Amino acid sequence: MFLAVFSPKGDDEVSLDATLMQQLLRRDVSAFEELYERHSRIVYSLVLRILRQGSTAEEVVQDVFLQLWRNSARYDTSRPFVPWLLTLARNRALDHLRLKSERQRRREEQTEEFPQIASAVPEYEKALDEKRRAERVRTLIGSLPSAQRKAIELAYFDGLSHSEIAAALNEPLGTVKSWIRNGLMRLKESLQATS
Amino acid sequence: MNTHDQFRELLEAYALGSLDSADRALLETHLASDCAECAKGLEEARWLVSQLAYLAPNAEPSAILRGRLLQTVRAEAAGGSPQQQAVHTTAVPWWLWAGVAALLLFSVYSAWNEQRLRRTVANLQQHAETQRAERKRLEGELSAAIAQAHEAMIWSDPKSKKIMLPPKDPKMPQLEAMWHPEMGLVVRGWKVPNPGGNRVLQLWLIPKAGGKPMPSMTFWPDANGKFSAMVENPPDALSDTQALAVTEEPMGGSPQPTSAPMWVGGVS
Repeated sequence: MFLAVFSPKGDDEVSLDATLMQQLLRRDVSAFEELYERHSRIVYSLVLRILRQGSTAEEVVQDVFLQLWRNSARYDTSRPFVPWLLTLARNRALDHLRLKSERQRRREEQTEEFPQIASAVPEYEKALDEKRRAERVRTLIGSLPSAQRKAIELAYFDGLSHSEIAAALNEPLGTVKSWIRNGLMRLKESLQATS
Repeated sequence: MNTHDQFRELLEAYALGSLDSADRALLETHLASDCAECAKGLEEARWLVSQLAYLAPNAEPSAILRGRLLQTVRAEAAGGSPQQQAVHTTAVPWWLWAGVAALLLFSVYSAWNEQRLRRTVANLQQHAETQRAERKRLEGELSAAIAQAHEAMIWSDPKSKKIMLPPKDPKMPQLEAMWHPEMGLVVRGWKVPNPGGNRVLQLWLIPKAGGKPMPSMTFWPDANGKFSAMVENPPDALSDTQALAVTEEPMGGSPQPTSAPMWVGGVS
């Protein structure tokens, strides 16, 4: 079962990630190993869904975790770790998907800022543990009409713009914009609900 | 809806990265104006978008990836710089580089080995050619030695009969022959002038019964006028031959004499 791979992570779990990231500053290999054990599956699942090719996905996952190791000082421990890590992984995977040249990618590795993610997390972020949030996400998006769900997936997993999605689905641009915004608003509402 | 609300509606799409360039430029201009409400809304939108990762089907990375990562991290923790370790993290996996290196080495070895084999084959061919020439030379020498031995046996065997062939021209040297009933007939001479042109000397066997001369072998004296010619299959019965004669004939010999005998010797 897909959700079974995500172990529950509450407040303590979140602070554990931040602690582990601080330990990386002291070149603590065991902290890195624990971070990898905790998050490599969701990172790999995301990257593989975007790239659809196992060997390339593993290269990207390797890049992502080496970024953690080498640039741990850039991480703001006050920010939620997992959303930040997932955003980093998605950006890397989409870079590969858009066939960025190796030279350009390497240049960016030298100067790349870590992704901007909320420093003030939503109030409802702590209302659900990770497992339940993942379940809510799947249930809510799965309940959307097929075309609307497809539009959100094309935007998130394929990195397409509104115009590109409208062309791919042969739907009006305004409809695509509404589908995506409304779908995300419904997801937000679902995650805000405590029961 | 005021302008601020319009920007609020763009935040989720902006966090998703799906805004078209015109909308994105407008929103970024607004965000640059330090709108605190939109900045906070954008942070929440980014968090919300990140939750879509849970839509990805579950998959697990390989143990090889884990091992490779930990190997790199441990090496860097032990003191190696990230730049030194970058060799482990290039887009091309290490095993592919290893494969390329092995292929390159194999290609170099193959080219070197091919050259070596070519040289070996050429040497063997040259050696074989030398061997063939040597064998031919030895066979020639052996044949000559056998012929000389054969002639020597004829000359020394008591069963042989010696035949003298005096010249018709007193200025010419005398020839001599030795006839052995089993081993054959040998004719030899010294200081014999070369017939010149396209002509040769030819031996004839003159039968007793008054028949036509039997043509035998042709021969040439060497530069010193020396020759030794052996007839391996003369008539079985020496007593059937009255005399031996030598004439000068065209190259290749003649079926019957075309000139007067220059040397004649009685056999019995």
